[in-house]
Amino acid sequence: MSRPTVTRKALVAALLKKEALAYSRDTLYLFLTGLVLVMIVVLATVVPDSVEEQITLGVSPPVSELIANATDELKRLGATEQQLAELDEADLAEGDEGLDLVQFETADDLSAVVKGDLEAWRTADGGLVLRDPGSGESKPTDAERLSVSIGIAFPPTFVSDVASKQDGVEVTVFSDASVPPEIQGAMQSFVREAGYQLAGEELPVTMPDEDSIVLGQDRSGDQISLRDKLIPMLAFLILMMETFSMSSLISVEVLQRTVGALLVTPVRVADFLFAKTVFGTGLAFSQGVVVLAIVGAFTTANWSVLMVTMLLGALMFTGIAMVVGSAGKDFIGQLFYSMAYVIPLMIPAFGVLFPGSAAPWIQVLPSYPVIASLVGASVYELGWPELWTSLAYALAWVCVIYIAGLVALKRKVESL
Amino acid sequence: MTETGTTTTPAIEVEDLRFSYGDLEAVCGIAFTVQPGEILGFLGPNGAGKSTTIKMLTGQLTPKAGRARVLGHEVGRDNPELQARIGVCFEEKNLYLNMSALENLDFHASLYGIKDAGSMEVLRRVGLADRAKDRVSSFSKGMRQRMMISRAFINRPDVLFLDEPTDGLDPVTSAFIRKTIKEEAERGAAILLTTHDMFEADELSDRVAFINEGRIVALDTVENLKLRYGKRSVKARLRDGGGVREVHVGLAEDGASARIAELAASPELLTIHTEEATLEAIFIELTGRGLEG
Repeated sequence: MSRPTVTRKALVAALLKKEALAYSRDTLYLFLTGLVLVMIVVLATVVPDSVEEQITLGVSPPVSELIANATDELKRLGATEQQLAELDEADLAEGDEGLDLVQFETADDLSAVVKGDLEAWRTADGGLVLRDPGSGESKPTDAERLSVSIGIAFPPTFVSDVASKQDGVEVTVFSDASVPPEIQGAMQSFVREAGYQLAGEELPVTMPDEDSIVLGQDRSGDQISLRDKLIPMLAFLILMMETFSMSSLISVEVLQRTVGALLVTPVRVADFLFAKTVFGTGLAFSQGVVVLAIVGAFTTANWSVLMVTMLLGALMFTGIAMVVGSAGKDFIGQLFYSMAYVIPLMIPAFGVLFPGSAAPWIQVLPSYPVIASLVGASVYELGWPELWTSLAYALAWVCVIYIAGLVALKRKVESL
Repeated sequence: MTETGTTTTPAIEVEDLRFSYGDLEAVCGIAFTVQPGEILGFLGPNGAGKSTTIKMLTGQLTPKAGRARVLGHEVGRDNPELQARIGVCFEEKNLYLNMSALENLDFHASLYGIKDAGSMEVLRRVGLADRAKDRVSSFSKGMRQRMMISRAFINRPDVLFLDEPTDGLDPVTSAFIRKTIKEEAERGAAILLTTHDMFEADELSDRVAFINEGRIVALDTVENLKLRYGKRSVKARLRDGGGVREVHVGLAEDGASARIAELAASPELLTIHTEEATLEAIFIELTGRGLEG
């Protein structure tokens, strides 16, 4: 009988169709993938896309009262009328940039607000209203509630006491449990410095002219939002999910030996590996791109870099899926085996959430250049000139991992 | 050992074929042919080298030495060409469990470039047409085996390799599968059937090869083997008062014909038949071990 001839292209197309069918029937991974996608959409909606840079600081008594109480003492110490007038005119209540100063009449009021027994509201004309939430009184209209989690209670005669170098001047710093210790320490230092300045003594250290030196890019006023920081995490999460799915598909094929049935037909091992690569990479890449689109990561400047980065990431995880799948473990074994590879690779993504210089060992991880490129492109909107070295480094790692995956799976398939 | 040849071009030709797993020699220089339309039974215990031979002939393993041709194609060199014309039924039921019976067959047909394989007709032939759209995971062991057979037939192969096709199946399903195998041979397919079921080999095979420890120790028609290794005697059962008496007459004995005629004419005769050796008995005689080992 005359037999139809089959091209390699047709063989790969048939294998891809089978992969898609098998994937669509794997209800567990289909459900998990759907769940992760929904989770990502929810996260992208709920997590704030801006950063509150203002620190709200409570202070008692009001600054004007502190100054008024100190006028006589300052005159006695030699302050000129002009200096006193300048001090009077200084609108300290406005605070510095990034500092919202809330002034309380008494230390008890400040303490109660920080503790949460009283609510502090700022009216449209700048006045402060205190409300006892347990009293049943209505909330003030046309007013904004203030969140005061830290405050400093000065004695009313603080300025004059310190200026006259009296001993035992007591200043209390109130803070609630959520305030990080660094901020509490900073407030204590602030009080000490104020004391030194008022006493006319310099601190025993000298500071440069700048308030602080920011290492790296100064993002003051342009902080990275939590949502932006989450983008690489989310993209990696979906790549990780697809690693589980793909390794499961491969594992089932190895365990049930269906691959053996393929290799006695015109299908060659290379066709099988190619189809797995195309399907695994395509699946992870397309879902990663959907996630990035959902969280609004694409811009006209970064889309090409992001696409290439995601492609490299998808290929890297396909390689891992091949290594894991070729072990031919059952569901639990395969899950744990996947975790052993995937968790270390997630570390750089967590590093983005908790910024600081990445430890050298983190930078050696294969996923680091992929994450670095993702962060660079999606968060800082960097382009090819800034990211090509990172991408080249990522490509090198992808080659290593993908080839390892190919070799592992090829050996496994040929040994069945 | 040698075998009596025929004039037609063999579908399978094997000469001095060898394979080893590390230091373990699994197949040690076997030689045989299978003609189109012929069923060759490969009989041997587990680990005798049957499956390794099939793996080499289907292109899954590359022979370490020797030569094998399937449909004129050199094994190891022309694998894609020969694989387009063979069908394989594996011992393990390696079907896609999450796919339906129809999807399994259509997918497999597409690997041969067959667009309309008539999968429903094939399923009807093996009695699975009413379960065509059900997932294979819901099939019984017997149904899965019928699926395995139908998958091996989907490309109308010229050579079929059947590895233990009825292993562990109930008698009804086994008989059904044997009938289907015979139909394929009648169509003209050459069939290499490995089994350790001597009844199956006896019923299906035109010739059988006994393989033990990687070597073929006997290869001939079932009839010739039985003649060569059987007892060549007649056993008669006669009524004897209230009981039954057995009489054995060796065919080589002097006056055997007259003695047999006498027994046949006896009014006490209940049954009379020749005493043939079973294939298992012959295998044991040749190798000193059983087929189930």
